[in-house]
Order: sequence, then structure tokens, then C-alpha cells
Amino acid sequence: MAYPYVSDREVRVLSRYFGDPMARRVDTYVERGGYQAAKKAFEMGPDAVIEEVKSSGLRGRGGAGFPTGVKWSFMPKEPTRPHYLLCNADESEPGTFKDRELIRWDPHQLIEGVLIGAFAIRAKQAYIYCRGEFFETTQVLARALEDAYAKGYVGKNIQGSGVDIDITVHLGGGAYICGEETALMNSLEGRRGTPRVKPPFPAAVGAFGMPTTINNVETLAAVPHIVNNGGAWYRQWGTEKSSGTKLFCVSGHVNKPGNYELPLGFPLMDLINDVCGGVRDGNKLKAVIPGGSSVPILTAAECDCALSYEGVQEAGSMLGCASVIVMDETADIVKQVRRMVQFYAHESCGQCTPCREGTAWMTRILRRIEDGRGAEEDLDTLVEMSRQMTGTTICVLSDSAGAPVVSSINKFKDEYLALIRRGERVGVA
Amino acid sequence: MSEIPFKNPGWAGNTGEFDLTEEQVRGDDLVGKRPVDGGHPSGAASYPYMVADRNPDATLFEGPYRERFEKILSRYPDKQAALLPTLGLAQEIRGHVSPESMDRVAELLELSPAYVRGVATFYTMYNKQAVGRHLIQVCTNVSCNLCGADEVLEAFLRYNDVEPGETTEDGNFTVIEAECLAACGFPTCVQINSRYYENVTPTDVPGIIEALRSGKAGER
Amino acid sequence: MADTPATVTLTIDGREVTVPKGTTLLKAATEAGKDVPHYCYHDGLSSPAQCRLCLVEVEGAPKPMPSCVTQAMDGQVVRTESELALDMRKGVLEFYLVNHPLDCPICDMSGECNLQNYVHEEGREHGRSREPKRVFGRDDFGGDVLYYGDRCVMCTRCVRFMSEVEQDHRLTVVERGSRSVIDTFFEEGLEGTHWHGNVVDICPVGALVSKDFLYKARAWDLTHTPGVCPNCSQGCNIDLHVRDNLVQRLKPRENLEVNAFWMCDYGRGNYEWINRGDRLEAPLVREGGSTRAMGWKDALSRLLAGVEGASGKGIRAVASPFSSNEDLAALRALVDEFGGGEIVYRSARAEDEIVLKGFPTLARRRDLAPNGKGADLLGMKRVGGDDATGGLEGVAGHGGIVIVLGDALADQGADFGSAAALYVYLGGHGGPATANAHFVLPTATFAETEGTFTNFEGRVQRFAPALDAPGASRPAWLVLNALVAERTQGEVPRTAAAAFAVAGTKAGPFAGMRYDEIGPRGAVVNETVSLSGD
Repeated sequence: MAYPYVSDREVRVLSRYFGDPMARRVDTYVERGGYQAAKKAFEMGPDAVIEEVKSSGLRGRGGAGFPTGVKWSFMPKEPTRPHYLLCNADESEPGTFKDRELIRWDPHQLIEGVLIGAFAIRAKQAYIYCRGEFFETTQVLARALEDAYAKGYVGKNIQGSGVDIDITVHLGGGAYICGEETALMNSLEGRRGTPRVKPPFPAAVGAFGMPTTINNVETLAAVPHIVNNGGAWYRQWGTEKSSGTKLFCVSGHVNKPGNYELPLGFPLMDLINDVCGGVRDGNKLKAVIPGGSSVPILTAAECDCALSYEGVQEAGSMLGCASVIVMDETADIVKQVRRMVQFYAHESCGQCTPCREGTAWMTRILRRIEDGRGAEEDLDTLVEMSRQMTGTTICVLSDSAGAPVVSSINKFKDEYLALIRRGERVGVA
Repeated sequence: MSEIPFKNPGWAGNTGEFDLTEEQVRGDDLVGKRPVDGGHPSGAASYPYMVADRNPDATLFEGPYRERFEKILSRYPDKQAALLPTLGLAQEIRGHVSPESMDRVAELLELSPAYVRGVATFYTMYNKQAVGRHLIQVCTNVSCNLCGADEVLEAFLRYNDVEPGETTEDGNFTVIEAECLAACGFPTCVQINSRYYENVTPTDVPGIIEALRSGKAGER
Repeated sequence: MADTPATVTLTIDGREVTVPKGTTLLKAATEAGKDVPHYCYHDGLSSPAQCRLCLVEVEGAPKPMPSCVTQAMDGQVVRTESELALDMRKGVLEFYLVNHPLDCPICDMSGECNLQNYVHEEGREHGRSREPKRVFGRDDFGGDVLYYGDRCVMCTRCVRFMSEVEQDHRLTVVERGSRSVIDTFFEEGLEGTHWHGNVVDICPVGALVSKDFLYKARAWDLTHTPGVCPNCSQGCNIDLHVRDNLVQRLKPRENLEVNAFWMCDYGRGNYEWINRGDRLEAPLVREGGSTRAMGWKDALSRLLAGVEGASGKGIRAVASPFSSNEDLAALRALVDEFGGGEIVYRSARAEDEIVLKGFPTLARRRDLAPNGKGADLLGMKRVGGDDATGGLEGVAGHGGIVIVLGDALADQGADFGSAAALYVYLGGHGGPATANAHFVLPTATFAETEGTFTNFEGRVQRFAPALDAPGASRPAWLVLNALVAERTQGEVPRTAAAAFAVAGTKAGPFAGMRYDEIGPRGAVVNETVSLSGD
């Protein structure tokens, strides 16, 4: 079962037990073969685990798509100081709602992934940083973790292997930017969640000044399956550059929104039309944001692409965390872009000037345009600002704010111009 | 469990093609019961909650709360790292993080009060002022917005006759606009205290409010 | 070791520079003669790289790099003024102005503001923002500091100064994004901290301003004169900012050996006495019960004649730790010339040192005068209490020659010097205790003359004259040395350098030091000194 809808085109590896409340129980998890991958990993040794994950081609599912095994291999091989594994469960990218589902339906799958990841990078302590709003979600996780501790699957001498790994659930305080890995580290340390300048990279100087690896929930949840079945098995799905399955979070104007686990490379139009039951009310498709609010918008014409890291890039956008936001002909592009930019202005940490001032300024300009008080020069200003906000800051939040602005001005200029010239909303059915 | 008489018992339980009861989705048996003392130390930092019953004048970190605080401390290499969970704990007890709470937390964690203020104000979840017993946060970000979140927000505001950020005269409700709550497939998502309400439409609003008012909303 | 070169060579704007490994591009650019605009970077603080103004183009890098944290690499090609770098910086500067009130006409920083400077140099001619500006208003941070949030560029230098250097985390960024401002813990403020004046200095714009200086002067009306803080024995390097021959404020001047970039609030706030108005303006000579003002030549020749009659009964002298080495050496020379005698001085002492934690060799020292060490080295003896009173019993009623230099004798009565055969007073202000003086000679303060102080560790540091001395006041060293020269038929030292040379003849530790060779960091006397400052 997937959740809340099912499609027979899915390949359900991570999401297999979505919608099955019993999957939260440690006994059920173990009966279904759980915690065997951890045991196997401990026997393989860290380097073999890293090699296996490398061979699977698994790429980070948090948005950047960096190969997970390679990331792990950056960690020192001979630990002289504590290492930390941080699991990024600060899911806040608009359009993304997979990590919460992964945690609340199958918490042990994540715990096992965290154990293997921590073992691979030679960490004895892992933190699962959950966004602060996930009260009930973390309650499920904390309960599962407590059970796992009680049964000896986490803690000292796990399953008699001699391996010690502690896991702690940490709750954030409400800040999108803490999903950025260095901001997450600052936040975990009890600081303002501002991103850090890199270098130094986390594998050298991370949380508490120690070598640290940060992985997304979905990434770590995939690891037990890879260890159990081998990297080659995982590669049976997906493309050469984008292997395996991926949870696609589909929201917006489709008949059946939800999480669907599909092989990477799956056609976007099939996702919308087959898997999700088509555009809502039989309306016409207008635009799709394929990877969460931070990526360029695709027009309906550009949606004939494959949902792989490279496929979406060829189409002119990014896969991000595969959060597909579908807009039908009723969608008001200017309003939605303003809403997204307003979000970035609200979430900007405020340390870098282009982002702190630029996101807020953009919001005001877009609001003015929306209210019919815009000028055509505003569009030039917005495009130029976006350029000056791209690549000029410590993290990519301000780049993200610029992406929907520039792409929508390029692709839906008519809607902007109609508002500016006549105070009319056009293209909004 | 909740007696909220509307279609969604929470967590999108009976939307889509599943037939789950609320008990199965968020019942104690399958979710666990929130231990005031934090339960196992590994999860102690995950329990700061937004609850309706709170006392702005309570002494901070006594009894089971003290135990939870100690458990939180035990999971980090330094005291500063316990700051976020500790602020959350203070808010669970008092409902918001007052200057006096910041000062107390600073003292306990050996930080400067100004530093604690800087951190507390960075994060949106720490209420700097007292809020209603039920803090209603309506996501109006893109996915929810496409599906009518503005109308849902409007409905909450109108039904309670308040402006955004304002608290009803009886002290029960504060309604604010929220950013993405990571439930985009279940629009509109509304977080009320600790709980997510999903697939909320304007017509659900009176039912939710009345259930909350009569204490039948099933808070943890 | 040998195969890792300690330097790297790179090209900046077409110029090749070689810098030590680990040097940042910002510093390397300075070597190449380019000042890259920056706000958040400060030599004395950590680098958060957040103002994004020091972006430069580095060949091969995918995006512009913050030069304040990017280390210079061998063979790197850097352009600080390429189209990309200028475009990015122009963008950043426009962002700064989106909410900036542009209230330069009423801003204290105007004229020395780096937002003005950079926008003038590299910014857009006209801002494009048509939106209403965000308004924060003014906040009293306590102590001497006011905060204008609307002018703030959020560089966080002040926050980092308080947390890293003073190590009392009183300031913080509150809120986030475009709502963020600098603040203290509600009403706590900066009251009770001892170094907070520095946050005003390091603020690159007019966000943090001094209450003391508020609306007092425009930056372009001030002359800056390098000096040494006279308020304790640390000897912080300062600039005296002067308008209308009045010191308007003291600002620290960089000296990594003494005070780095900082000075304490005590020293900074303690300058009004320099501007004291009721000054002696002409030599006064008391003859036959009446006092007359006269010219220097007449006064000094009468004084020398008076010495003849008074010699043989011994000589006692009082010096001041506010006098320069040159003044004190000249006094020592004169006393020796008159047959030798004890020179005492009085100096106020505070109960505690106030150490700057992040730069612990800097403290507001217990000795609240700049040159007690110089007096000690010249064989003078400290007397009296910690409040710089008393201890003059042996001088007040002395029957021979009494010479007082610089000490205002505020605690002494009108009978001071009444028994003296010859009582010479040199200083800026007369008072009851100078009533019996046969000669009252107006001398210049440290702010009006050139010279040196020796700080607690024996570091000799030069200062320059910032003010015009009133009336006929002369440097004490000139007056005293002229008297000696008259007696010995020697040459009168006409310059501070020559006057400093006298110190070398009078005290071993100064021997061999040359005034001209005392560089901007000062020079430590030839003596083992303790750093404790006691």
C-alpha cells in the first residue's frame, strides 16, 4: 500500500508499509525482517558498507542529490574525535511531505538506516533533527526508538555485535533554513540557525566541531534495503545517473495527491495522468514545479520529461526533493510566485544582505504588481535582483527565491503584463 | 479520541483509499503516550508540546519536568545544545517564552540572556507573547494555497472574529498564517497546538472550533 | 617542512603579489593596493562572511567568492573590479539601501560612513526601490550607545565584539530575515560593561552612535591627531578628534602590541579635563608682595637670579605622572643642576584592573595616569594615597627651593610653599596652593605638545600636539631645559627629539633610544619589565 492512494505503477520499497499502523511496532518490524540489515552491516565493516552504498548509486534525497556513499567516504577513517551522524528530518520545503510519512508509518526503517549510516561513518552518536512542528510524528519516532533500545537494537552492544550507537531525537524550533545542513548543525548546537561558510566542510568540522555527516530521512531509510539486497539490486530501478526508487510528493491540482514511490526516470506526465488520476476536475495543465518551491517552474509544454536528476535538468528545472506541485488552468501564477517568495522572505535567516533584503523587497514588488500597481520596469528589476541574489550568499535560499521569479517571468510574462497594464488577471480560468 | 464531527480524524486517516480509524492513526496504542518526564532519554527532547493547559506563572522545570530537562541535557556534549528543547519545554509549561523564561533558561544552561533571546526569536515556534489556549496555524503556502488555503484562513478568522495574530476575547483561540507544514498532499493543513488537521475546508471550521471549545478535540 | 612553501603567489587585478600562506584574498588585495569594500570583516574579529560586499571574481570558481574568508592560493587569478564583481557588489549595495533611511544630514556617521563611501564609489546612481521602508526607530542600549536600527547593515561586528572580545554576550541579533535587528536582553543593555564604546567605533555605518558625541560635530570638521590615552598606564594608542581647539572625542588607534583596535570606556569618556578653560596664559612673577605677568625671557632671568639666593638650603620637587618623559627628564636635569634632590609624584590608583578578556594584554590598569613608569625610570618616587593626595609633607614646608611640575596640588592649602626660599610652579592651572609661588609658569598639556609616555610595561610611545596651547604656554621641557642651558651655557634642546635625548642621559633604560626611531608601535625601554601592570 502507498498512502493515501495506491497505484500499480509504484515500486514500493520504502513506502511498503505506509498506511499499516502495525508497522510502527518493533515486533512487527522484526518479524518482517527488520534490523537484519544493521546486523549484516556490522559484520561487513564500515568500508564495505560504504562501498555497497556507493555501488547502489544512491543519491541524497534531500534535494541536492549528492551520492551518499561518496559523502560517507569523506569522513575520517581512523576516528580520533567523536563523529556524528545527523539525520535531516527538518522537512519544510513547500511541496514536500515524504519524510513525515516515512517517520510516522515506518519509524524502525529510519532507525535502522540511521544505525547503518552511523556505523559506516564511525559515529557513536546520531541525532535525528525533526522540524519542531512534527510533534506527533516525533512521538511515533520516540516511541519506536524507546522500543528499539529496550530490545537491544539501539544502544550498547547492539544485537551482541559489540557496536555501540546512540540515537537521539531532536526537535527544532521552527525555521525552514535549518534544513540546510550547516544551519542544521548550528541549530542542533543551540544557536541561531544560520548557515555556515564552507569550507570547512562538515566531514572535517561539523556538529560540535567534530566530523559530521548529514543525510536526509529518505536517504537513510533506503540504506537498510541496499545493505540487505545489494547495490546492484537497487540499481535495477532508475537510470544510470539516478538509480533506485524515489518518493514523489504530488500536491496541488491533481485528483489523487499523495506520496508515490516510483523508479527514478518515471515520466512526469504519467505521474500526473496515470498515477495521480489526472489534473483535478479534468482541467487543463498549466504548470508544474517538479522539485519543491525552490526550482524553476515548468510550463505544461515542458512537462514531457523524465523524473530523474538529469531528466528534469534537461527540461530546465531540477528534481530537488521530487516534490511535484501541479497547477491547472485556474492557478494564478503571479499570486503563487508571490506566495513562494513571501515564504523565502519569512524564512531567510537574515545574515547575508542579498537574501535578507532581496527576498523582502521582491515580496513587496510582487505584491504591488498583484495589486495592479506594478510597472513594466519592475519585471526587469526582479530579474536583475534574482541574478544578484544567485550565487552571492552563503547558502542557496536566495537562489531558491529567485528561481520561481525568473522562470515565471520568462514563461508567464503575459500574466504579469496583464496585471501591470490593465490590473487584470489573465490565464486564470 | 477526538469527537470532532468532520471527515478527517487527523493524519488524512479516511481520505484516499484507506479505511483507518483515528485510533489506528493516532491512538495511544500505536503512537505511545506522551510521558511528562520525557520517557526514554533518547526521545526526551522530542516531547516539548504545545498544550492547551498551561500556567504562565508556573515555576520552570520542577518535578517530572526537571527530570525531562536532565534527560535532555544528558544527550548532548554541551549544555548549549539543549537550548532549543529547553525553550520548548518552558513553552509547554507556560504557553509562551517570556523574558523571564529566557532568563531562567539562560541561567540553567550557563548562557547569556541576550544570547538566549537571539536564539528564541530566530525560531517561529517560540511564542514571544501569550497566545490563546489553542494556537491555530493555517498553512497558506503554495500547495495548500492552490487548494484554497486562503479561504480556510479567512474562515478561521471570521468564525472567531479576529485578525491574524489576535486572540479571541475568551482567550481560547489565536489564529495565524503559517508556512508550509509538510503536509502538502493533504491540503489545507492546519496545525492547532500539537496536532495537524488535514484536508481542512472552510466548512469544517465551525466543527473544529466548537470541538476545541468543548474540550472534545482529543489533545495529547 | 622545507617542501611546503610558506608563501603563495597570485595575481590580483593583473598584479602579482606574494603573501604568506593562509592569507585571505581581502588582505592579499590590500597588498596589491586594492581595498575591497567590506562591512562584516574586521581585523580584530571572526569572519562570518555575511555582508557579501567583499565578493570578488576568482578564475575557475563557479560563483563570486567572499574575499574575507577565501584563502589565497598559488597561481590564483583574482579580479576585484571585473564586470561580475562590480555587478554583484552594485547589487549588494542596492540591497543595503532598500530599507536604509538615507538620513545622512542628521546622521553622526556622515562623512566617515562606509555605506556612503561604497555607494558613492560603486553603487547605482539611483535606487529603484519604490516600496515603503521598514522602520525600527532608535533604541537606547545603555552606557554610551544609541542604536538606530534603520541604518544598520547587520554586519554583526558589534555582536561579535561583545561575545568574542569583551566576552560578555550582551548583544545579539533578534528575529530573523529582514525583521532582524541588533538588541540587548530587553532592558539589560550594555550598562556595566567596560569596553562597549568600541562597538560604536567598529560600526561601519551610523547604526551605533555615541551619546556623548551625538550631534556634537560633523566628521569632516574634526582633525585627527595621533596620541596616547592619558587615562591609565596601559598607553592605548588613540586619535584625538578636535574641533575649535577642543577635544570632541577620543578614538582608539590600531597598535597590535598595546591595544589592538580597542580602548576602554573609562579612557574614552575621560577627556573633558583636557578642554578645561581657566588656564594660565603668561608667566607670573611675585615680587615684593605683588604678582606681575611678564614675558618668558624676563621671568626666566629673574628665576635664575632667585636660584642664586636660595641655593644651599636643598631642593624638593613634585612631578606629575601626566607629564611626558621629556618634561620629567628636563625636571630631573634641572633638579640635578640645582644640586640634586628628591623628586616625588602622586598618582591615582584604581582598585582593580579591568582586563579585556579577548585581548588580555589590554586592561584599564590600576595606575590612572599615563607616565608613572617614566617617572619611576627617572628615579622619582611615588608618594601619597591611591587618590593622589597627601605625601607632600616634606615639600609643603621646605625652606629651600621647591619646584612643582604639573601636579595641581588640589589637596594642598594656601600655606604650601610659604617657607620656601624659591617656589617655582609649572602647570596649566593656578590654585590656592600656588599663591606662594614666586614663579608660576604656564606649561602645555600633553595634548598641546609633542612627546612620549612610557606605559606600564616600559613601552615608550609618541604623541603629537592636537591643540594649540593657550597664551604664552610653552612645553615644560622647553622651559626647564632652557634654565639648565642658561646655567651650563649649553645648547637648549629645541625639539622633542632633543628633549627626549635628555632622558637617555638621566636614566639608563632610556639610553640608546632615539626619538626618531620610536615607530608607530612604540619601543620598549632597555629593561626587563613585568606584564602584570602593577
